[in-house]
Amino acid sequence: MASSLTLDHVVIAVRDLDAATSDYETLFGRAPSWRGEHPRYGTNNTLFRIENTYIELLAMGAGKAKEKQWREQLAKHLDKHGEGVYALALGTDDVKATARGMRDNGIDIADPHDGNGVDLITGARRSWRNALVDPKTTNGARIFVIEHMSPAETLPSAEITSDPGTFVRRMDHAVVLSADMEAARRVWDDQIGARLALDRTFPDRNTRILFFRLGDITIEISGGASQSRAGEGKPDRIWGLAWGVDSIEATCARLNSAGIETSGPRPGIKPGTIVATAKGEATHGVATLLIEHTPESFRPESRAAQGDALNNTQPRRAFTVRSLDHVVVSTADIAATAANWREHLGLQVAETHEPSFMPIRMAKLPAGDAFVELVQPLSGDTGIARTMSERGPGMHSISLVVDDVDAAVADLRAKGVEVSNAEAGAWPNTRVARIAPAAANGVPVQLLQKDAPPPRDE
Amino acid sequence: MIKKVHHVGIVVRDIEQAMRFYRDTLGLALHKMELIPEQGVKAALLTLGDSEIELLEPTVADNGVARYLERKGEGLHHICFHVDDVERDLADLRGSGTELIDQETRIGIAGRICFLHPNAMDGTLVELCQPLDEYAQLHSTEQVTH
Repeated sequence: MASSLTLDHVVIAVRDLDAATSDYETLFGRAPSWRGEHPRYGTNNTLFRIENTYIELLAMGAGKAKEKQWREQLAKHLDKHGEGVYALALGTDDVKATARGMRDNGIDIADPHDGNGVDLITGARRSWRNALVDPKTTNGARIFVIEHMSPAETLPSAEITSDPGTFVRRMDHAVVLSADMEAARRVWDDQIGARLALDRTFPDRNTRILFFRLGDITIEISGGASQSRAGEGKPDRIWGLAWGVDSIEATCARLNSAGIETSGPRPGIKPGTIVATAKGEATHGVATLLIEHTPESFRPESRAAQGDALNNTQPRRAFTVRSLDHVVVSTADIAATAANWREHLGLQVAETHEPSFMPIRMAKLPAGDAFVELVQPLSGDTGIARTMSERGPGMHSISLVVDDVDAAVADLRAKGVEVSNAEAGAWPNTRVARIAPAAANGVPVQLLQKDAPPPRDE
Repeated sequence: MIKKVHHVGIVVRDIEQAMRFYRDTLGLALHKMELIPEQGVKAALLTLGDSEIELLEPTVADNGVARYLERKGEGLHHICFHVDDVERDLADLRGSGTELIDQETRIGIAGRICFLHPNAMDGTLVELCQPLDEYAQLHSTEQVTH
């Protein structure tokens, strides 16, 4: 059941349905698919079907309702939170089975109920079966599961009324804000069974995001990087919606001339995307993002997305690791291995060296600012020879640049890390200290100071 | 052609524990934590000048990283080079009959990537990568999304 869930539609709670309908017509560049009422619920709605979901603007209606709880809950929501995203409707082919599965996973979900709606203009009827989830069990996000009984074409695509490139084509993602990310992850992953696509933390921005996929729409859950006690039990909030358009620039121009203010366009966090925010009353309380995907933006997980996150501000430390100096690779035959690295990777030996105080042969293969150091032990009585016999030839250690190796050693020892005294390195004019592999997850880490004065005994 | 060392991959049992040394003791800035259910790994990337340290923790029992941990324990796992055209480099390697793990490039944490077989490199596991933005600039949309 889990894998088949889609984002069937999103419900936006509004006070004045006519005003909201007119604003969303402008925002989407489309005419509504449906203007209707729910006789049993006592609510009225406007629907816009776009490429991959539909949007329901929902307002209180007049008249008597048989099932009052829908109207009462909507009234309560409008009172407490004002206009904005009200609920996410998860689509399924079998609401009974889905509800049963969720209940087995500990979600408090009502028994499926039949519902129907009438289009006030065409008189068309649509029917469905849905099951309401108690928001308490989903950490505050209002969700229901829906199975449509009417054929999909009963709700036609919202007619495009604006110029090509300037209308909302599809929904890109929904943003849920959470103060309790662990709970949110449990709910969406373990209980609802949405597909977790990403769990990423940006420590320097104190942000953690979870991506869940419902069909081709992403539910992005965003919260703090560290789990705080204060956040536990606080409700999640469906905060914003992102709409895919073909041309951000043209869409913004259209919206601005229609009186909807937009910010941007600006590059999105995801590489290759351009985004703009729609502002003001016209969004009816929904944080609204417009997004254009250029061909480069095919993968949200691209590392370039981390541009901002790279700006770490480090606390002052006794020492700073500047960069990677080199990676040591052991070999039983340095000439043969150097030939492989040259042939397969194009890395060339720039320099060879045999230190006077160590029975090894070394070759330096520069790669950018760092280098690969091939090392062939010439005697079995070296650390590297022993490691080779235990783990085989290959990557042996890494060497990291520090400004002052003595200060680093002192600081590490004060922190209880086992590290050798700083001594002359195998390469001329370097001083190195070796950290015990046991302290560094099995990796021999060497701290290296460049341009160090030669020791007296050489 | 190789531009630089992109990262050095280290396999660990527990990323949180490993970060106590690499992040807290050495002071390397953690800039990304990623859980990749599809690949069965959790990764932490720490900035090391122009390169990175990639800590890898297996989250399943039956992938390369898990088998490595089982067989050899924690330690250095691979070295990844940033290249200017990963497709061309891989095509050259295929053409010369170099033993490879990946016959085609694929998407990894570092972008568009491929792994050479350690047999080809006398025991070193080498990864080539090209960040996706650079890859996309070089290749047409059709190639990118196939």
